[in-house]
This record gives sequence, C-alpha cells and structure tokens, in this order.
Amino acid sequence: MSVEVSRRKFLQGSVALSVAGASAISATNLFSSEHASKHQSANGRIPSTITTKTSTKEAENVPFLCGICVNKCAGFARVEDGIITKLNPNPYFPKSRNMLCPRGNAGIQTLYDPDRLKYPMIRIGERGDGKYKRVTWDEAYEAILNGTNKFKGIKQILDEEKDNRATIGYCNGEGLSKEGFEVLVGEKIGSPNYVDEISICLETTLGGYVNTLGTYGEADLNNADYLIIAGANRAEAIITPDTMDMFKRSKGRGLKTIVLDPRFTNTSAKADRWYAVNPGTDLAFVLSLTYVVLKEELYDKDFVAEHGIGFDEYKNTILSSKYTPEWAAEITNIPAKEIYKTAREFMQARSPIYYQGRRSVFSKNDFQLRRAMATFQALSGNLDKKGGLVYGEKLALPKEDINAPIYGQAQPRFDKEGIAIPSQKTGSWIVFRNMVLEGKAPYKVRSMFMRKHNPLAGVPNTKKTVQFLKMMDLNVMIDILPSDTTMYADVVLPEASYLERTSPVSSYGATEPAIVQRKASIAPLYETKTPEVIYKELAEKLSKPLWEITKKYDEDVQDDTEGMSPKEILAYYKENGFDLTDPWEKPVEEQNKEKVVSMYGEKAWKILEERGVYYPHIEEYHKQLNPNESEYYPDNKKKYTTQNDKLKVHFTLPNLAKKGVDAVPTWHDDYKFSVPEGQFRLVTGRHAQFTQSGTTNNAMLRDLIPTNYIWINQRVADKRGIKFGDKVEVKSNIGKVEILAYPTEKIAPNQIFMLHGFGGSSEKMEMAYGMGANDALLIEDKIEPVYGAAVMHETNVEIRKV
Amino acid sequence: MARYGMALDYKNCINCKACEVACKEENGVELGAEKHRIWVGGNNPEGQWPLLDIASAAFLPSQCQHCDDAPCEEVCPTHATYYDENGVVRVNADKCILCSYCMNACPYDARYVDDRTMTVDKCTFCSDTRLARGETTTACQNTCPTKVRTFGDLDDPESEISELLRTREHFSLKSHLGTNPKLFYLT
Ligand code: SF4
Ligand code: SF4
Ligand code: SF4
Repeated sequence: MSVEVSRRKFLQGSVALSVAGASAISATNLFSSEHASKHQSANGRIPSTITTKTSTKEAENVPFLCGICVNKCAGFARVEDGIITKLNPNPYFPKSRNMLCPRGNAGIQTLYDPDRLKYPMIRIGERGDGKYKRVTWDEAYEAILNGTNKFKGIKQILDEEKDNRATIGYCNGEGLSKEGFEVLVGEKIGSPNYVDEISICLETTLGGYVNTLGTYGEADLNNADYLIIAGANRAEAIITPDTMDMFKRSKGRGLKTIVLDPRFTNTSAKADRWYAVNPGTDLAFVLSLTYVVLKEELYDKDFVAEHGIGFDEYKNTILSSKYTPEWAAEITNIPAKEIYKTAREFMQARSPIYYQGRRSVFSKNDFQLRRAMATFQALSGNLDKKGGLVYGEKLALPKEDINAPIYGQAQPRFDKEGIAIPSQKTGSWIVFRNMVLEGKAPYKVRSMFMRKHNPLAGVPNTKKTVQFLKMMDLNVMIDILPSDTTMYADVVLPEASYLERTSPVSSYGATEPAIVQRKASIAPLYETKTPEVIYKELAEKLSKPLWEITKKYDEDVQDDTEGMSPKEILAYYKENGFDLTDPWEKPVEEQNKEKVVSMYGEKAWKILEERGVYYPHIEEYHKQLNPNESEYYPDNKKKYTTQNDKLKVHFTLPNLAKKGVDAVPTWHDDYKFSVPEGQFRLVTGRHAQFTQSGTTNNAMLRDLIPTNYIWINQRVADKRGIKFGDKVEVKSNIGKVEILAYPTEKIAPNQIFMLHGFGGSSEKMEMAYGMGANDALLIEDKIEPVYGAAVMHETNVEIRKV
Repeated sequence: MARYGMALDYKNCINCKACEVACKEENGVELGAEKHRIWVGGNNPEGQWPLLDIASAAFLPSQCQHCDDAPCEEVCPTHATYYDENGVVRVNADKCILCSYCMNACPYDARYVDDRTMTVDKCTFCSDTRLARGETTTACQNTCPTKVRTFGDLDDPESEISELLRTREHFSLKSHLGTNPKLFYLT
C-alpha cells in the first residue's frame, strides 16, 4: 500500500480538497493556552479564544446528549470555571459507546458561535433583509399576539379567520424538544397543519419497512457476515452505532461489504466490491437479486412459510416479470454476473443484511425500493435474530396526558393531493407549500410557527419557499442561529443550545435499550431560553386572548358555556384544555425525575443524573473491556429476538393496490435512468464533518470543510476545460448556482455531486455566508406518490464554466 | 513512569477527522488548514470510473511517531525538544527559537509552526492536558468512532497495547530509518 502520510504531501494532494481554501479565521484566531486563556469576556462566560486548551484544574463533567445530528450521542461536557472546554464521549451509552464524531467534538463552537441569536428580536425591515430590533422577551411575545405596524399578530389573524386554527402552519426539525412544540402549536393552539423533516427525509424508508415487516428494525452489524449497503454512506454520514460496527469488521475481517453508490465514497473505499449504480435504479438491482433467488429457489422456505403473507403472488409476479440480471444490468450499470454472484452469496451467507438505509427519498420509486429491500431481506430468513435485522425493545417511560382542546372552527389539513398514504400528522412539505402558494388550499394559511428548521435549505425549490414565507402575515422562529429561514421571521426567539439545557428524558429502543438524559452543562448564554421555558411563556401570553376568540366564534363552546358564571367559565376553560400552559406547569427537570423515579426508582434517577444513562442492572452489566470498549448487556440479555410468532412479512400489499400502489414491488419503464446528452444528474449527500445547514457556521468544522464543491467526472471536466477550483454555473429547470469544481474519477460522466447544506443566504451567519452553493435552489420539487415525500435525486442540470 | 505508545488499527479508519477535532479542542490547537497535530493520509483510488481500485484508496492516520531515537531531538540546538519521563517526545516552547532544524529532520513531517506562539508544535500524546490530569487516554483515541487507536504503556505487559502488539501483526512507518517509532500500524 502506498498511502501518502506526510503532512505536506497530504496538504498538496487531492485529499486536501476538504481543507483547500481554509482559512480566513486562523488569522484572527487568538492566543490560547493555560496561562493566557483566563476565559475573559464581556460576561465572563464566553471563552476568549476559539479553541481552549483544557487545564489540570478541577472541572465538572456534566452528561449531555449531542444535538448536532439526529443520533444524540452521549457525552460529558468538561466545564472549567463555567466554560465548556471540551466534550468527551460517554462510555455508558450503548448506542454511541464512547465515541463522538467530528461534529460532536466541535459542538462547543455551536455554543460559543459569535453569530448566535442572542436576544429576542422583531422585524423592522423587509422580510429577508435582516433588519431587526432587539426587544425584551415580553415584547416579543406581545408582537406574536398583537403584531406591530409591520406584521399582524396571531390574535388579529385568528379573529379574521373566525378561529380557524388551521390558518396557522408550523414546522420543527428533529430533536428532543420537538414534541413540546408539537404539543404547543398542534395540540394546544390547535393547528393541524404541521410539516417536519420526515417528508424531506426518510419517510419512504420507514414506510416501506413498516408496511412490509411491521417495523423498521436495526441492523445487527456486529454479528452479520455479509452486507449490502446502498443509498447510505456510513463512513461520511455517520449514524450510530452502525458506523462504529460496520468498519471494524470490513476489509476481510468478517463482514463482507458490497457497496452500491453512484460515487466512490469513503464507504466505497471500505468495500469488498463497489458498484457504481445509476442513480434511481436500485429497485431494478434488488428486483433482479430477488429474481435470481426465487428462480434458483435459494430462499429460506421454512421462514417464508411461517411468516410470509402473499408470497405466492409475489413470487409469480417477480418471476413472470423476468427481472433477470441481464435486464437489470442495462438499467443499473451493474454487470449481470455480479448480480448473480451477489444474490447467491447473500443467500449462502450465515447472517446477511441488506442495509435499510436512511436519509432522503432518492427517486419516485423509493417506497417500492424499500419494500423490495425488506422482502429480499426476508427471503434470507435473517430477521429477528442475532446478526440480522433486529427489533429490540424500549424501556417504558410514562407519557403525559395532554389536555388538548377541541376547536370547532379548525379546518382539517389539505395536503393530500396525489398522495396514496397521506400522513395525518406530518403531511408533505412540498404539497403543503405548493398548494398554499398556488391558491389551491381550501382556506388561507396565514402564519408559520417555526422551530429549529431551515426549509430554505432543506425543502427543494427554495424560491418557492421564500414566496410562501412572504405570503404569510406572521412568521415566528425559535432557533439558535440566524438561518436563511430565520431571516424571513417577523419575531425571532433565541433558543438555548443543547449544551445549555436539560431536555426531556428519552428512551432508546434497541437490542440494548437504555434511557438517556441531557443535562444543562452551563446556564443559557445571553438572553436565550430553553425551548420548554419558551413554550410555557408563549402559552401564558396567548392563552386568554385566543380563548376569547374561540368564545366569539365557536358555537359549541358558546352552547356549553351558556349561562355560566365567570368562575364556571374559567373552570370550563381549564378543564377543556383551553388553558395552554398546563403541559409546562412543572419544569423539565422535575418532570424527568418524576418519570424515572415512578418507573425505576430513586437509584435509577441517581445513576441517570450522574452518568446520563440508565438501564436495569447497569451497575452489574456495564463492564469496561479495554481503553476503547465496554460491554453493556451480557450477550444472553440482549434483545435480538423479540418478535417470534408476531413477525409477519407482507410480500404483497393488496390494500395499497386499491390506492394505486403496486402490491408487489414493480419496475416501470419511466423509472429508467435517463439524462439528456450534455446534462448531468444531480446527486447530493452528507459528510462526516458536516450535517445540515446549521453546521456550516461552526468555526471548527468550517475550518475542515469551508465550502462545497461540485464533483464532476475528470474526463468530462478535461473536455470542458474545467480545472480544480474553477467556478462553474450549475443550472436546473428551477434555478442556478455558482460553485467551485472538483474534477474526479470518483463520479460518472453524466452525474454531478454536491454536499448538502452550503450556500446559505443569511449574511448574519458570517462564517457560512457566501461559501458554496445551496442544492435546494436546484432540486426540483417533485414528490413521490406514496407519502408525498420530496424526491432528491431526479433533477438534471447543465453546467458551464464561468 | 510509563513508555507510552499507540497502536492503530488503521483499516478501521474512515477519515472522519473526529480525532483531529478532539485534539484541537482538548489542546487548544490553532485553527487553520495546516495547523494540526494529527491528520489522516490517503489517496484517491487509481483507475477510471467505474473501474477504480478500491485497495488504492486506504486511509492512514498519522501524527508524531514519538520515536525512541528521534532525529528531531538530536538536532535541536537548544534542547527544546526532549524526551519526558514517559518517553513522550515534547517541545519546551520557552526554549524553542524556531530555527526549524527539527522540522527538517523529522522524516514524518510531524511538526508545524504555531503562529500564535511562533514555536514548533506537534502531538504530545496529550501529556500536559489529559495525562497531567491522571487520565490514561488521549483525546483522539478516546473519541474515535471506529476505535482505530489504542493508547497505552508499552512497558506494561498487561496493557491492551502490549497485548495487541503481541497478538497482531504490525508495522511502523519508515522503519528503515532507525527512528524506532512508538506508533504501530496493525495489519
Ligand atoms: S454522530 Fe456526531 S453529530 Fe451526530 S449526535 Fe453523534 S457526535 Fe453528535
Ligand atoms: S477519528 Fe478514527 S476513524 Fe476518524 S479519522 Fe481519526 S482515526 Fe480515522
Ligand atoms: S515523528 Fe518527527 S517529531 Fe515525532 S519524534 Fe519522530 S522525528 Fe520527532
């Protein structure tokens, strides 16, 4: 092996891509050492330097859960003199087992980001221009209620809409305090129009598996021996514990790994075989694997007989459709003999896994792809057992009863057009937005309540999202950073970051279930508040005035309260949930304690407080094996097998057929990969040092990846005279961006790739601003037909050197 | 006293750079593309799409090798570079005059200039942070998602690293130079 190890060569080489262009910030970087860094700052709570050397002084170690991506890895924050100087991994959590990824390590920079939202603000300029004035929290709540001369308040809007609560839309990205926001705006204020990340993320993956196997499951990669991984890039888009398990046994060490990816990624570099599949054609690949297995009768017949439903129809359909490897080869760009080999190897393996994947919907056929993957996995019989897809268990936590009021005037949600299984709770971002925008909604949506969500970067077709937000009479944003979307808010409420708040206790279900708690490492900086405090205070502010509007328009309420004394009305208001504040009567800390003590006792609570993690017998079970690894549950106590007889595999879905969805995964010719001559298919993805649009402003991560590049095939680039670092224009049907070029052989001649999350338009995120390009400006707003989820990889673009 | 070394199960490495970030946060290392005590070397795969040679795309984490016979130490005119009691090769910033002899002498290119102090800096095995606090881990080893790194006392036959070096084949970089590195790559 001739890997270049020297620092200089490393920087000159093409791997320097990720650091090329760094870094303006090092020039302004301040001196930092044990002596010099006295952590001086305006209020003494912010370190005076970007990186802070840890010292040998007494420090507190506070258990936290990382909040940068969805994983919630557990860690301990080292707090010295009220400053967080280091985040270390927490060895007690079986899911993240003593690891923090680069983003997790750089979490300190989120907290101390100079661009953070620091005070409540009210818009005084035009939407998008970033002109705000600093106000008190009460003035901000007041503006949400009554508006200003620049925008209307919720009271006025609801009055004009005669208490139709559906006029308020709301959205929230993934995280531990999301549920509280759903309770506030959905259950208590009464809006049905909720959109979250799922319809721009992994909705079809979950749906495909749940409809087929009853649950999504977890890949037991520690014990598997054969892995097909497609549509997931675990080396660069890190998910715990899968990433941790996968690469310790790849490369001839027990886990044979087959990677399908249009690009050669860091995951491909770990593969035994890498297939450069055409984007959007994975379904043809799985169908042809299935064809081989059915034709050659390689499947686990006993398993299928015991757990399968609708197998014969499935088998007949697949076989009569002639999904041969030869057929698939032409569509997928994977040679037929490789498909035969893979199908046979998979079925011969002891514990094979076709990795379920995550993240976004790639193509219109994504639901069927996931169904086909799940059924193919089932053919091996490797389900609900060690080394297969396992279901695990969850440790119970009590749920609060929400006293949700009923608003007679609230209209139902409407974003169901063209969707087979419309989601009642989370809807479809694209359909919702587009219907409002095009005036197709049956009533007006006039306000967006948003939290921790940046649809301008996440939802395809940014221009439309901007127009949509501009149509609103009132936009409210609760967030940590001044994102692109925040710039369209009328009222901005600054939230405490994940290191400054105790979050609702949470249960992690798996083969080694555990309960975890995030504790506040330090008090909220500036004037930020924790989400739960914000929910409570906002609820207090809105409660009575909104109730007055309900009384005015809701005939049921009028009938009910007819002839009541004011005191009785007040009792009615409370009893029927119109008092919005009750879910937050007790602070989070108290609620957590009550929940845990009621289920597991005082001792469990003490352990959770100290370690951030609890599971029954933790003290007996948890063993440190070596400097890096621990054992959590003894092997015979792990929940590998939990379904037994309950396990059902729905090979066909006749009920969905009634809704126009193929009952058996089927290939249609319009799924074929096709890119007009001279154009390119746009593929996007994540990176280990980078998650979503929020991390672009992180000083440490930005230092590693300051911008995104467009990957373009080397030979194509040569022909077009495009060299590394050249600026190119990328243009789709809906928009164009400029971005720097990275010519490479790691991508096909008719495809391009860019990292998601860059190209922020908010000038208030100073480090991220002007760096790279936003893929959401290019990606067309197509939906897949089962859930209405956004299709991310079906946009063709043209490129031109500028 | 210990004799600290590190074994790297480098085939696990996914080039995520958690180690680099952890090191920078732990030790207050300067930001900047060239300012790092540890890095991961790598190559682009050879060949043309789609026929790329997977094996040619390996990742190799690297840093100061803490040579037992360190050329950097030999050439340092002010004795700023020294072996501490744990066999860790250290730089005394107060003595460093930035003559850069050590930077040229080091065959592993492990040293760089810290622009704030205008002295040479490099990996210290977290000697003045974690080890000084009595911890026996380094920041990079502790955080690594795929557990590439095992840090420990080479003189202690019971230590994990000694066990690994006894039972697994390994090599060191540029061993022909006779520097006797204390970084071991497990095969
Ligand atoms: S994977 Fe990384 S960013 Fe995500 S939660 Fe874990 S440490 Fe944080
Ligand atoms: S943290 Fe581990 S896997 Fe990541 S780059 Fe460093 S050594 Fe490699
Ligand atoms: S690797 Fe270089 S800096 Fe480190 S001890 Fe050896 S010669 Fe000195």
